[in-house]
Amino acid sequence: MENVLEIRDLEKRYKEFAVKIPKLTIPKGFVTALIGENGAGKSSLLRVLGGIDTKYAGTIQYSNAYSDKEREKNSCPVKEMTGYTAMGGYYLPHWKLEQVANISELLFASFDKEKFQKLCKDMGVVEKEEDFKKRVDRCSDGTVMKLMLAGVLARDTKLLLLDEPASPLDPYMRDRLCEMMQEYMAEGNGERSIFFSTHNVSDMEYITDYAVIMAAGTVVEEGFTEDLSDKYVLVKGETEDFEAAKDLLIGCRKSQFGFEGLCLAEDLEKFTGFDFLKERPSLSQISVALIKEHSIMVR
Amino acid sequence: MKISQESGVPIYQQIATQLRNEILDGKIASGEFLPSIRGLAKELKISVITTMKAYELLEKEGLVTAVQGKGFLVRQQDCEMVKEQYRRKVEAHLTEALLAAKPAGMTLEEMITTLRILESEKGE
Repeated sequence: MENVLEIRDLEKRYKEFAVKIPKLTIPKGFVTALIGENGAGKSSLLRVLGGIDTKYAGTIQYSNAYSDKEREKNSCPVKEMTGYTAMGGYYLPHWKLEQVANISELLFASFDKEKFQKLCKDMGVVEKEEDFKKRVDRCSDGTVMKLMLAGVLARDTKLLLLDEPASPLDPYMRDRLCEMMQEYMAEGNGERSIFFSTHNVSDMEYITDYAVIMAAGTVVEEGFTEDLSDKYVLVKGETEDFEAAKDLLIGCRKSQFGFEGLCLAEDLEKFTGFDFLKERPSLSQISVALIKEHSIMVR
Repeated sequence: MKISQESGVPIYQQIATQLRNEILDGKIASGEFLPSIRGLAKELKISVITTMKAYELLEKEGLVTAVQGKGFLVRQQDCEMVKEQYRRKVEAHLTEALLAAKPAGMTLEEMITTLRILESEKGE
């Protein structure tokens, strides 16, 4: 298995918070989700990977070939092969939409202006030609996100780093986003990868191949989604068994009708004798339980 | 191909089952390739890894073989053998059902009726 990203000893310090990741690899040819609650460090990590934030310790390797130290050199293809989007991104507020296209064309060799205009029309960023005269700061959050997505999809890239791409979009556009991500991957024939963040994985879990779950500035779980669904079991039981079961459970939730929690599949035999229901958990269920278990917030 | 998110059956198993049936029925002929992994994932709106897991299951059963850089090729010789394996599996399950029917007080006719109902519910 090849990796599109290899992160070693990454440390990004803020006044009252730090992102610390000793080792993380993102597989090439797959869609990887970066999952965690607000403040877990997802955006910080993506900003570092995207070269937006350059003040950090540690090393990053792109496609087993290029290091982050040479990223800014003209001869290094990392910039050209990577597309980054985030809310509040890098388009300046006073730019007009046509300037976004013109500047992107100057910055990136593979930027296809016609494809960009077509994507803008398809996603409803513009309806008619004169809409390209509109200023970026006159657009809604959802429209700015679509504009940024059009900007990266109009280029021939190998890696997309998308920070919360679904958040400002309506349910229909979220579905379209998933379609566009799958089209991007299918066209890449195993050579392309996507690393996107989300705090609400349920909308996008059906296209997710690999998951990285973050809490309190570090990675608490990672793996291929099918492997994670085999690693854990969702256990549901009766209230009277809760006390005996709770120590084996991750992110346990108790109500007057019973309890529900995640346990390691290898621990399942310890539940023998209890009256319980077991299910193969979805990525959302695994994420919610792990985030709850590792949360810095008091609940 | 139909995929249900709510059936409780893992999606990779649903895909493997449907492709297996198509291969055994000859709808996908030996010597043909299965749909490309990323193409099928996109069409079915499922992840690439789930599609891969389904294909790997079929490979383990000997129905298809992975060809480096080309995809999954449907193999010829094993179809009858796989059908026979499944026939044996059905027999084993039916024997178990017969044993369980006794203490339940179910007659053979009642079992057949139940089976018909299950079949019709499955089709819905």
